[in-house]
Amino acid sequence: MKKRNLLALFSLLFAIVLFVSACSDDANSTDSDSDANANDDDQATEEASGEKTLIFGRGADSIQLDPSKVTDGESIYVTNQIYDTLVRYKEENTEVKPALATEWTPSEDGLTWTFKLRDDVKFHDGTDFTAEDVVYNFERWATSAEYIYYGYMFGASEDDLGGIIEKVEATGDYEVKFTLSEPNAPFLQTLAMPPFGIASPDAIKEHGEDYFKNPVGTGPFVFEEWVPDDSITVTKNENYFGEVANVDKVIFRTIPDNGARFMELQSGSIDMMTGLNPQDIQTAESDENLQIIRRPSMNVSYMAMNTGKEGPMSEKLVRQAINLAIDKEKLITLYEGIGKAAKNPIPPSLWGYNDEIEDYGYDVEKAKALLAEAGYADGFDITLYTFANPRPYMPQPKVTAQAIQEMLKEVNINVEIIENDWDTHLSVTENGEHDMAFLGWTGDNGDPDNFLYVLLDKDNAKMGSAGNIAFYKSDEVHDLLKEAQTEMDQEKRTELYLKAQELIHEDAPWFPIAHTTPPIAASKKVVDYVPHPTGSEPFNLLDIKQ
Amino acid sequence: MHHLSLQPNPLPDPNSANIGEPEQTKSSKLWLDSAMRIVKSKTSFIGLCIILILILTAILAPIIATNSPTDQDIINRYQPPSSEHFLGTDELGRDIFSRIVYGSRISIQIGVIAVGIAMIIGVLLGGIAGYFGRWIDQIIMRIIDIMMAFPSILLAIALVAVLGPGLTNAMIAVGIVGIPQFARIVRSAVLSIKETEYIEAAKSIGAKNGRVLMQHVLPNCVAPIIVQTTLSIGTAILDAAGLSFLGLGAQPPTPEWGAMLSDGQAAIQNAPWVVAFPGLAIFFVVLGFNLLGDGLRDALDPRLKQ
Repeated sequence: MKKRNLLALFSLLFAIVLFVSACSDDANSTDSDSDANANDDDQATEEASGEKTLIFGRGADSIQLDPSKVTDGESIYVTNQIYDTLVRYKEENTEVKPALATEWTPSEDGLTWTFKLRDDVKFHDGTDFTAEDVVYNFERWATSAEYIYYGYMFGASEDDLGGIIEKVEATGDYEVKFTLSEPNAPFLQTLAMPPFGIASPDAIKEHGEDYFKNPVGTGPFVFEEWVPDDSITVTKNENYFGEVANVDKVIFRTIPDNGARFMELQSGSIDMMTGLNPQDIQTAESDENLQIIRRPSMNVSYMAMNTGKEGPMSEKLVRQAINLAIDKEKLITLYEGIGKAAKNPIPPSLWGYNDEIEDYGYDVEKAKALLAEAGYADGFDITLYTFANPRPYMPQPKVTAQAIQEMLKEVNINVEIIENDWDTHLSVTENGEHDMAFLGWTGDNGDPDNFLYVLLDKDNAKMGSAGNIAFYKSDEVHDLLKEAQTEMDQEKRTELYLKAQELIHEDAPWFPIAHTTPPIAASKKVVDYVPHPTGSEPFNLLDIKQ
Repeated sequence: MHHLSLQPNPLPDPNSANIGEPEQTKSSKLWLDSAMRIVKSKTSFIGLCIILILILTAILAPIIATNSPTDQDIINRYQPPSSEHFLGTDELGRDIFSRIVYGSRISIQIGVIAVGIAMIIGVLLGGIAGYFGRWIDQIIMRIIDIMMAFPSILLAIALVAVLGPGLTNAMIAVGIVGIPQFARIVRSAVLSIKETEYIEAAKSIGAKNGRVLMQHVLPNCVAPIIVQTTLSIGTAILDAAGLSFLGLGAQPPTPEWGAMLSDGQAAIQNAPWVVAFPGLAIFFVVLGFNLLGDGLRDALDPRLKQ
């Protein structure tokens, strides 16, 4: 028995210093890693092997490396290195520039688009890139609803898998023509989105179901290895048609704990990281070896209320009451200065933002009155689904959830917090299991359509693949958003989006939380890194200074 | 001299030949002896004090605590210890001192309920196995062996994964994990007791098995059960804190110590007090139960008596 007690005591001590020991463990293991990988820790080794490796730390692993099937930023981060799209965004904004396509011409009526393609591109598996490959990819995305983004962006659904793209045809070896069933204003912008990266048809056929583990594209980096929940390694594509990368290798490491990840950055075993604890920003800024790089803001975090579920959340008055019962100004202090309070679903940096809208404000009495009017004066029990890891738009989901839990207690709403892993969270909320759920969105193409249509249109409120996890189904909003998609005149589109935001504000399917400028902490050795507002960028332009 | 013993389960002197009717004075003296030995032993006395403090804290929580354990003051989060907040504030501006004070109630609850489950089931299983022997013994003890093959925290995690996260389920899981220890100890005690003459005598005057087991055998295993219970409470609190640390036990905003550790770890560099104090609370309580458990064992084992 004595031994057992000692053991208990030791495990207890272990619990207290858990954090410290975990870190030193990590540090040890990564030290040996970095020796092997010629990390910047060890310049001698680095120079000897002549290899430049960038180690990027983040909170969660990619879900799939087939970007057409995912919506999460962690997957896109990696696929953005491996694939190219027909057009790409410029380095600092969402204007497009040539990539796989060198030039493009829309028809007068906006219904056909012709793209001239590069003739000197090879996939990483050695096969040539031709117009047929573009056709193959687009046809593949139109075969199933599991190609989520295709559905979001082109209005495809189970009944109409092609959506607004009627036909994609190769009009030459290096020319491809799209025929649309209706004009689509953001079409070109959308084609630059990483989910529409062109994959090698040979590799898709070869790997079948397992393709997502063996991605083959044309991008600046070649996929090398994926150790799930640990790391993904990509190496430089020497034959890249664009600017060949400065670094030889990029390793994306998954380190779930924010604090542990930051300590690794401080100790030099990783070079860059996302998901900084807000309270660590100052520490990083005062560290002479580190820099904070702020990503331009184009995101929103929100708490969606499941309007499709029977019960209080289906009542507009209740949703408005919840908007009134949460003290947003206080809540936003949890962002430690990296976030501004949100009142609309789209960020103010985007055109079409409706600044006329007045946020609900914090008014407990009014909230109580609305609840009483809706017949819930005595309150009710409800679930709030949240996720364990930080997201760029929500650095501290659990704490934020607890703050809301406490605030809603004031109006007799009893909140049960349900915390899940990132990918579980996505799938349960897409299935509509929640009453309320946290989520956020980083804009993909700089068009309001990419926020409002994806997140709040009834077309995207389908169980199992919902982008609209509030399951908000307003025909009025739908009509406005569809009209804005087909209208090519930006001024008229702005009008439509302003109106849509008013309706959404009134119906309150969300409690909008914040727009952030997500901080990225990096070693000062990392230079020429320009974070893109869409949340990820190819790493071929950055460099590591010795 | 005959007087009514206040002890519910008088412990017979093993050398006594009395059948089921132990000599009262001797028994009381044994208890008194044991109590004296606990108080005299420095370590177990410290353990006893810690536990008394814990119990008093739990009972008087509303009086001791300076704030509500769940009241948030987001603007004043991560305040270092001060006269206003003795142990500082956490990530939501809650008073850590008050949370730890209220957390003592949860720890006691966990200790009592989890160990209660383990004890009741464990004692019954161990008693049955030891008393009846043969195939019943084989079946029960092999199941117990299987349970012991799992590291306890792993088994608890698996059980919570099946039952679903939550404080109640965590207590059940920790309780189940504690069963084997009790079963083993009780079984071995029963094995030796059932061979004694007073049991033989009880049987010979026609007492049924159930009566012999419940009335004569188990009451005489009380000493090892008490020791094991005390030691188990410490382990149970630790295991439950571990489960809460992993997010499988107490759910927010419950001020459970393990959950507080987990919530505070993000700030360990900037606000170490957020994790240090709940950690120390766990440390001292488990230490207290272990010291007392050790002391009890020494005190209740007559073989150590000089």
